[in-house]
Amino acid sequence: MAFKRLLEFQEAIGVTPTFDRSPATWRRALSRFVQVIPHTRELGLEVVEVGPEAVRMRLPWSDDLLGDASRGLVHGGVLIMLLDTVCGSAVLRGLPAPEVCPTLDLRLDHYRPAVAGQALFAEARVVRVTESVVFTEGWAWQEEGRPVARGIGNFVRLGPRNTPPGFAEALFADEEVGGDA
Amino acid sequence: MPEGFDSVAWLSRTRAEGDLAAWLALVPYARRIGVDVEPDSEGNGLRFRLAPQQDNIGNVLLPALHGGVVAAFMETAATLELMLAAREPRLPRIVDLSIDYLRTARVAPTFARCSLLREGRRLANVRVCAWQESETMPVATARLHFVLGEPGARGE
Repeated sequence: MAFKRLLEFQEAIGVTPTFDRSPATWRRALSRFVQVIPHTRELGLEVVEVGPEAVRMRLPWSDDLLGDASRGLVHGGVLIMLLDTVCGSAVLRGLPAPEVCPTLDLRLDHYRPAVAGQALFAEARVVRVTESVVFTEGWAWQEEGRPVARGIGNFVRLGPRNTPPGFAEALFADEEVGGDA
Repeated sequence: MPEGFDSVAWLSRTRAEGDLAAWLALVPYARRIGVDVEPDSEGNGLRFRLAPQQDNIGNVLLPALHGGVVAAFMETAATLELMLAAREPRLPRIVDLSIDYLRTARVAPTFARCSLLREGRRLANVRVCAWQESETMPVATARLHFVLGEPGARGE
């Protein structure tokens, strides 16, 4: 609902989007995006870095991420959720203008178990954008150089017509009102 | 007696009793997203249920459930179904998963049913269908591969 209020506010002050944005601006915008999603907000997902190519996130450790409490292993579903989110965020970064893009399908390979007590990192990039689909790939790890999973996510472009007016402005709201969070 | 998935005796006993509540108690993420299981009134297997929780939302504009949460629900269902249906007590470890999203998953009760398509000596293939209003209109289908581990045995 916070997002809806933002949209209304942005419409009211009549801001217009621009798409030539700095990495720091993008990091704030995507932080806002994962803050607005109740599931990722509650888990404390953070946007670490948004480069021209890739989006990187960090999921802090919490015992709720366990899939096997007796052996201290992370639930595979946590990794799907994380990669879906980071790939979806890369889609926003990779399009000429932010569009609403639901996940069409997702494929995940589990290379080794992720273990209790350590944060999870994930990075994703857009491989190709067509008129109707955005192709992405992403990785997740706990220790640098030892990936726990790889994901391939394809997203459907709903197009500007099905994207709510003010979607981009809401993403970049703090920039437009002069805030520097 | 030690309790947990790595205890052969505990796994065999809970399996013989069909005590999936004991299994779910050891799966914190499944509990967090609200996974439950009930006997399948229309078949021999199990019917899984995902509670419509506000903190499972992934899209506030629609609103809709997080696709990753739906996938985590389906993976939990496949794992538990496989642990119960395997010929012997086995600990499935996921190898890979492929999920197709067919419809928007609204913030409503979501159900899942699994089919064990192949149980080999070391690998299993499970298909999962998830739906909300009607099983004939799935919100997602998934295919998963698992390695079947010996309970108590450690290893990559």
